[in-house]
Amino acid sequence: MAEYFDINIVIEYMPYFLKGALLTIGVSIVGILFGCILGMFIGMGKMIKKWYFNFPFVWYINFFRGTPLIVQLFLFHFAVLPAMFDSVSATTSLMVTLSLNSAAYVAEIFRAGIKSLDRGQAEAARSLGMSKIQVMRYVVLPQAFKRMIPPLGNEFIVLLKDSALGAMIAAPELFYWGRAAVGEYYRVWEAYIMVALFYLVLTLSLTYLLNYLERRLDTE
Amino acid sequence: MMNKYVSGLYLTLIMIGLLFLAACGTADDATADSNAEGQAEENAEKPVLRVGTEATFAPFEFLEKGEIVGFDADLLDAVLTEAGYEYEYENVGWDPMMASLQNKDMDFGAAAITINDDRKQTYDFSVPYFKSTHMIVFNEGAGFTSAKDLEGIKIGVQNGTTGESAAEKVVGEKNSNILKYDSTAVAFLALKNGDVDAVVTDNVVADEYVEKNPDANVEAITDDETFSAEYYGFMFPKGSELVAEVDAALTTVIENGTYAKIYKEWFGAEPNTDVLLEAAE
Repeated sequence: MAEYFDINIVIEYMPYFLKGALLTIGVSIVGILFGCILGMFIGMGKMIKKWYFNFPFVWYINFFRGTPLIVQLFLFHFAVLPAMFDSVSATTSLMVTLSLNSAAYVAEIFRAGIKSLDRGQAEAARSLGMSKIQVMRYVVLPQAFKRMIPPLGNEFIVLLKDSALGAMIAAPELFYWGRAAVGEYYRVWEAYIMVALFYLVLTLSLTYLLNYLERRLDTE
Repeated sequence: MMNKYVSGLYLTLIMIGLLFLAACGTADDATADSNAEGQAEENAEKPVLRVGTEATFAPFEFLEKGEIVGFDADLLDAVLTEAGYEYEYENVGWDPMMASLQNKDMDFGAAAITINDDRKQTYDFSVPYFKSTHMIVFNEGAGFTSAKDLEGIKIGVQNGTTGESAAEKVVGEKNSNILKYDSTAVAFLALKNGDVDAVVTDNVVADEYVEKNPDANVEAITDDETFSAEYYGFMFPKGSELVAEVDAALTTVIENGTYAKIYKEWFGAEPNTDVLLEAAE
């Protein structure tokens, strides 16, 4: 344990922690948004019965779920994206990697949500003369969405915390500034405790937001 | 009646708990004892030292087929052999090494660590064993000529190193144009990638990178007016009793020519040991 807690380090770095927290929030929102959109398509793609149609989606999920996020981040930032574009900032690479990674998890959550509904519901709706798309839109999706909220919430929280890996490629998010403060003063308690507190506030806010959403959509 | 049963149940639970704790206690003691015995057999009184490093700083310390090799690794071996210690050289990373030394979890760090006043407030240092200055590495064609050219461009450094301080001295502290990486190796990747326009690091590391990567098309310059010379030392937790012993062994190694042999092996030149011995005083 440190002899004392040097509050001056916290005060001095507070503007940078705030700036970093803003970037963490921004990167996470982008990751959640694109992850959800992309994940929905990939989830649907994986549900196609014919193997030659679903195998690209299956392998997308295999790759992004089966390799460490930090490896994906380095692969995309130093190899894949530079090969495709002229110059890509570390922050952009972080957003792209987080989006692609979370899409794989969202796809599985989406698929599980739809599969969890009793087949009888879709069959009943079909027998009433609804088209396949109408069944999806009015019967299956509204119920599946409700069931997907808790696992999606977990995924969002994981994504927010994983954005800290951006520090490894010098994307100036929250943890990057924490490491910078430790690098300047060679004192570990102050900065890391502050950074942990910031992350806790962010994830707790997200948790309560999702709880609220869950209550609003509750029909029972 | 009921109460009796309940309190009997509680008692049983407490007994089981106590038994469990006792079992844990003895198990722990047993392993601790066997460890102590194991060490005692190997070495009559001296403990096996834990030495930390961050092995991405060629040619001082880097990984070759999983082994930590380099100038520091060889020098460390010579010094601790001289002092009669067994040791474990562990690649823990820069920030964890700093933290472990502050908490006294490790005995010392051997990682091309520059001796400076900031660090002396929290740590103790051995006598210096290497003289170094900083260099600016950039892609060919950028045409930088002095440290002044660092203003307004993106600079890559390793977080918490003196390369960072050197860059900060030119463009100011907490300047957002300074990007702080986990290791110098990643900073060089970022230079290749175009994330940064220049990397500021120790001269020997810069030379090694330029020499070993002719395909990277980079140049390196120094600026003696801006970047002052600095010395590397082994870094100890504050108040460590090892410092005196290691100092004595290090001085012997420098004076008896072992140091010059290791130096020549890694840098291909004769060292100026007088400068080091003078700086030690």
